[in-house]
Amino acid sequence: MQQQAFTLQQLNQRIGALIAVAETQNVWVTAELSDVSVRGGHCYMELLQKDPNNGSTLAKARGVIWTNVFSRIDAEFYASTGQRFASGIKVMVRASATFHAVYGLSLVITAVNPEYTMGDLLRRRREMLMRLQAEGILEMNRQLQWCEVPLRIAVISAQGAAGYGDFINQLYNNRNRLHFKSRLFPAIMQGDRAPASIISALNAIASECENWDGVVLIRGGGATSDLVAFEDYDLAANIAQFPLPIIIGIGHERDITILDYVANMRVKTPTAAAEWLIARGNEALNHLKSIGNAILQATTDRLVGCKEQLSYYGGLLPTVPHASTERASSRLRNDMITLASIGARRITPELSRLSHTASAINTATATLLDRRKDRLDAMQTLLDTLSPKATLRRGYSITRVNGKVVTSSTEINHGDTISTTLADGTIISTAN
Amino acid sequence: MATIEFKPVTELTYAQAVAELETILKMMQGDECDIDQLTSYTRRASELLTECRQRLTTTDEQLRSILADLEK
Repeated sequence: MQQQAFTLQQLNQRIGALIAVAETQNVWVTAELSDVSVRGGHCYMELLQKDPNNGSTLAKARGVIWTNVFSRIDAEFYASTGQRFASGIKVMVRASATFHAVYGLSLVITAVNPEYTMGDLLRRRREMLMRLQAEGILEMNRQLQWCEVPLRIAVISAQGAAGYGDFINQLYNNRNRLHFKSRLFPAIMQGDRAPASIISALNAIASECENWDGVVLIRGGGATSDLVAFEDYDLAANIAQFPLPIIIGIGHERDITILDYVANMRVKTPTAAAEWLIARGNEALNHLKSIGNAILQATTDRLVGCKEQLSYYGGLLPTVPHASTERASSRLRNDMITLASIGARRITPELSRLSHTASAINTATATLLDRRKDRLDAMQTLLDTLSPKATLRRGYSITRVNGKVVTSSTEINHGDTISTTLADGTIISTAN
Repeated sequence: MATIEFKPVTELTYAQAVAELETILKMMQGDECDIDQLTSYTRRASELLTECRQRLTTTDEQLRSILADLEK
């Protein structure tokens, strides 16, 4: 007997017809993207569902976005999430199941809900940040201080990348000729292998970290905006705990990754990283310049001050002796005047006292003389009363012989010359 | 007059050199600066400045060799 059989094509067409029912058309489905690639404008990918506990694949399907839809979806998705449609991100897509006779089952995607991806990214990032915080390492690199002038810079980037070239050009062609020293520690900067590759570059720098002042992590540049690779806990933890300050320049303004939260600094572009370093150096040069100027000024001021002082003394010197004698003679004059006035004050009363005394002496002398004269007069009177003359006047006389008073007649011898004194004269006689 | 002993500038770190410059400046701006030592302080300051600038900047020759290294 001959068995009825389908051709494979017929069977596949029948399967296709069975699948193409309302229940499988235009349904919203969530999945993780893997193996995303764009060929001929069409975007091909694997949609995965993983077990959240052990990461094993629970479901898998091929997905495709045709070129006419993809160009729109890609732009919209990037505009709202800052992400390209790339491996590793979670998406919510509107898909229709189709079964192609040759290619088998595919989910044809016609729309994407970017908010879902955004929410998922943010949630994952938040979880990682909380973990870093709980482990106490979140702020470690951010709190590192740069040395005074960072000139020795270790660079992590992809070899030969445009961004690296921009950085180096900017760094070495700085106007003030700051003496930078840099070395590239090459790493893969996109895709799943990027985190491990960057970590090993970091380890290489850490093993000679005394040679470097800081690390600049810059992306190769180009169109790829596969930032999901950087949303990696291990990489973030390595950067957070790195002993040198790290500058992250892997994205444009809105392309924020978790690395921007843990690194010491984030810049928009590799060029901006170089500019920041140059600005630090210029600041140091300006500081030196201002110190130099200030020291010059201080020295000049000091010298000018000293010269002024000297010239003041110099001007003073010729007038000093003259002024000094002037002062001395004026002092002498003053002394003389003082002396004179003191003399006048003392001598005048003295003189007047002298003149008083003189007149007092005159008066006293006159009085004394008068008194003496009166007494003499009185004595004269008394004397007159008592004197022998008075007795003589009363009739008595004094008889003398040879000048001797005779009081007895026996004393007189014959022939003696006798003198008899009377009140008014003397009589000479001869005894018989 | 006592001469002041200075550490050779090459033995200083950049931060130490800048700190010393600032100290000298402060002293020169203050009253404590001895006029006899003005010259030695000024000379020292200029030495420090030159050394610091040299450490920050590069000569033409050095620059060319660095750029040549990078292009290898």
